[in-house]
Formats: sequence, structure tokens, C-alpha cells
Amino acid sequence: MIRKPVPVPLREGGEVEIDVRDVTIAFERDGGELVPAVDRVSFQVRRGEFICLLGPSGCGKSTLLNAVAGFETPYEGEVVVGTKVVTGPGPDRGVVFQQPRLFPWKSVRANVAHGPRMAGKSRADAGAIADELIEMVGLSRSAKALPHTLSGGMQQRVAIARALANRPNILLMDEPFGALDAQTRTVMQEGLLRLWAQLDTTILFVTHDIDEAVLLADRVLVMSAGPGRIVRDLAVDLPRPRTIETTLGARFQALRRECLDLIRQQSQKAFEGTHDA
Amino acid sequence: MADISTPAALSPRGAGALPAVGAKRRRSARLSQRINMAVGLVSIPLFLMVWQLIAQARIVNPILFPAPTEVARAAMEWVTSGLFVEDAVASLKRVATGYFVGSVVGVGCGLLTGRSAFFSGLLGPLFQVLRPIPPIAFVSIVILWFGLSEGGKVFLIVWGVFFTVWLSTHLGVQKVDQGLVRAAQMLGTPRRRLVGEVVLLSALPFIVVGLRTAVGISFYTLVAAELAGAFAGIFYRIQLAQQNMQTGLVFAGLAALGLISFIADRCFAMMAQRLVWWR
Repeated sequence: MIRKPVPVPLREGGEVEIDVRDVTIAFERDGGELVPAVDRVSFQVRRGEFICLLGPSGCGKSTLLNAVAGFETPYEGEVVVGTKVVTGPGPDRGVVFQQPRLFPWKSVRANVAHGPRMAGKSRADAGAIADELIEMVGLSRSAKALPHTLSGGMQQRVAIARALANRPNILLMDEPFGALDAQTRTVMQEGLLRLWAQLDTTILFVTHDIDEAVLLADRVLVMSAGPGRIVRDLAVDLPRPRTIETTLGARFQALRRECLDLIRQQSQKAFEGTHDA
Repeated sequence: MADISTPAALSPRGAGALPAVGAKRRRSARLSQRINMAVGLVSIPLFLMVWQLIAQARIVNPILFPAPTEVARAAMEWVTSGLFVEDAVASLKRVATGYFVGSVVGVGCGLLTGRSAFFSGLLGPLFQVLRPIPPIAFVSIVILWFGLSEGGKVFLIVWGVFFTVWLSTHLGVQKVDQGLVRAAQMLGTPRRRLVGEVVLLSALPFIVVGLRTAVGISFYTLVAAELAGAFAGIFYRIQLAQQNMQTGLVFAGLAALGLISFIADRCFAMMAQRLVWWR
């Protein structure tokens, strides 16, 4: 059955960069039964926006991100990036995974230069692009190092530089700071905000951390679990630039509270749902 | 009885005892380490001495069981006559050719079956059935096929090397980190370049293990290859010496075979560290 895409009204400003249209993604269980992980989700992201997908683990937020990245094919619906329907991964969408996933046999510089090299740039040009990005993430001194000699936070900075090396319009981030310790995470969040302010990249950022979502995003899309649906599109009207100080303000706390309540409701519903079944 | 709780009362030498005990323990640990090393150094000389004593005591027939001195004499004669170099070159040529061909074909087939379910289905069962057949079992048919030419001997070594390298490559390719493949894809790596950029390097640690095992196998198989009729070679020399009852030379040949294969393995182990440079 093919449902008609539900038109989502455009909000003021910006061209639509990512258009998720009525996407359902289902996985096959052992018995052959289809279980939806994401159920008829629609949303739009405008150029230059920073969007966080927030939800409890298992709500399908990573699956949704993978559909935008092109790693996952929707069972129904489609993802449109720019003017094209997504059919697979591509250099127009940089991805930062939860694990750095750096090529262990390549130096930091060669990892970052990989994308431009694949795009047909000369060794020198690709190297120059890499050097610039490595400097932006503050790792010039480790450019020649192999990934395993770096700390987790440093590796993730390399992964961000690598994902930006093709100058993608869109940066997709799948809980990129989830595996880091709290101090490093804060530093990385502030660093990402500075980087985003310098570039005109659209960011779709998946997290289960409420504070992180509210600190980073222009809009937080709150998801419910089992199957994944968007239950609230929350505009974050905190002024920029934001730093860790922002989290101490009353407005931040109010927004945080709102997200917390939403997620608590959803968890409660999911809990009662399991009792009914 | 008030001072019973103080540590000084429990230790006969008071507070100063701790570092003294530590130093003593460290010294005795170092001593036992040295003893173990010394034992390792005398292992082979001791073995040779016992062998020499048994041979000289005439407990066994000295013609069947020559003393180390007799083996050394035979080895010297083998080397000075120039035959040793001839034999070693002939054997090493066979091993090197067979190893090279078997490895290249093995890695190629492993990439093919590891990447493609079609080729895995087509070739996998066949390879698994052929793999356990020992190369030596092919000697008779190889003589019929190739006569006494070098081709047959190289074929046997290729046979021995191929399956090990194929299997390790196949497994390595199947275990490739899909996360790295996705990372390469999102960076715009074209499909046809994924193998060279990610798959081969990701599987390299597995392939290297297979290649190293294959070094040993190629020397085992050399024996089978030279059984299939040869005019030079280390195992050929051993057979010839056996027919002439030159048991000293037989033992020298065995020692040479062991030594060469040992050196080859060491060399490979050193090279392997450079091959997987990021570990």
C-alpha cells in the first residue's frame, strides 16, 4: 500500500535541504514477520539548520538517520535530499558514527584526505583540504599519527574532519559523543557549535541525551519508541553563541523540562503498552 | 598489651623492613629469570652431548644412528663439494615459485568467494572437499601428468599453499568491519575501489596468518614434490643418502630442512610486522 505523502508546511526562511516523506522502515523478525522500527515519519530540515532527533534507545532514531544517509532503504515513503530521492550513501552527506570508524591503516591526514581523493582531487589538493580541516578541529600536531594512538575524543574529532572533507551540504551525526566521558563530551559539543557557526552545513544529530539536544539544536524532534514516531517538534529559542553556561539558564531548564516530560510520557505509554499486550 | 595494634610491634624489623623485602624479592626474581635464560642456551648443546655419548657408548648401531660429529663431517663434505648450494637452490626455487603462485591465486579466490555469495556457493563446497586431501597423495598422478619436470613439483606446492591462503582470505574478507565499509561509502568510495581501499586491508591480518602457515606447508610439501622424482634438492639428497646408507648425510639433510624452514618462518614473521603496519 502506498500512502500519499502528507505535505508539511514550510516554515519561514531557508530552502528545504532534507525532506523525509512518510517514511516507514521495517525489519524482518526471525519468523518473517515485519516489525516497524520507524512508522510514517515526516519532517523537513532547512538549509543550515541544526536539528536533533531525541528519543529513548530503540526508538528508531538511528534507523531514521541511516535512511537519510542511504544505508537503510525505507519500506514505504522516501527521503529527498536537495532535489534527489536518496538511493544510497554519497559524499553530499557526511556521516559521523558513534564509533570513530577511522581507517586504522591510514594516518589522520590520509583519513581526512580520503573523501577528496575519491572525488578525484590530486594528492596535493586533498592534502591541503585535510590540513585545513585538521587545524579546524585542533589536531595539526597529530596529523601524521595513526588513529589508534589517539584518545577517543581526538579520534572523534578526526571523524568529524573526515566527514566534512567533501564539503557536504549535510552532516549526519549518530550519537557521536555517546562513547566519550562527560568532560570530553562538553568540550566536543562546544567545538561542534563553533565549527557549525563557521560552515554553512546542515546538521542532523541523533542523541538520547536531553541536555545535549537542547544545547545544540535549533529544533528538537522528540521521538517515541516502538514504533518510532515524532511526537513533538520543539523550537529551541536560546540565543547563540551557546556555551556550557547556557545550560545554567532558566530558559534552558524550562526546555529541558519539557523534553523530559515528553520522554517520560512516552516511556510510560510504552510501559503500559507492554502490559496490554 | 597496648602496643599490639601498632605495625612496628608486628614486624620484627620495624618500619624499615618493607623496602628491604621488596629489593630482596626483586633480586631473586631477576636471578630466576637469568637461570631460565641460561637453561634455554644449554638446551641444544646438552641434547647434542647426550646424543654423542649414546652414539659413542655403542648402545645403538652407529651406522643407523650416527654421532653428531659424524653428521657434522657429512654436512661439511656436502657443503664443500658444492652440492649443498645446488640442492638448496633447487629446493628453494620450487618452494618460492609454488608459494608465490599458490598465494596469489589463494588471495584472489578468497576475495572472490568472500565478497560474492555466488562464487562462494559455486567454489566453496568444491574447495572444502579438495582441501583435506594431502598433497603427497597426488604424487603418483602428478608423475603421470608432468613426468619428472619442474611443473609437477611446483604444482604440488601450489596445491599445498593455495587452500590455506584461500581459506584465511575468505574468512578475513567475510569478517570485514562493515562500519568501515559504510564510512568509505559515505565518503564517496566507488564500489569497484572498495576492495582495494577497505576490504583487502581490513582482511590483511587474517591473510598474513594464512600466508605464514603456508610458509611451513610449502616446506612440508617440498618433501612430497621431491618424492615425485628430482635431480637435485634437499630431500632428493636425503633419499639418495639413504639408498647409499650415508646416514650422516641423511641427518645433515634433515637438519638443513629444519633450519631453512625455521629461517624462512622467522623472516616471514619479521616481514609480517611491517605488512600490518598499523597494529
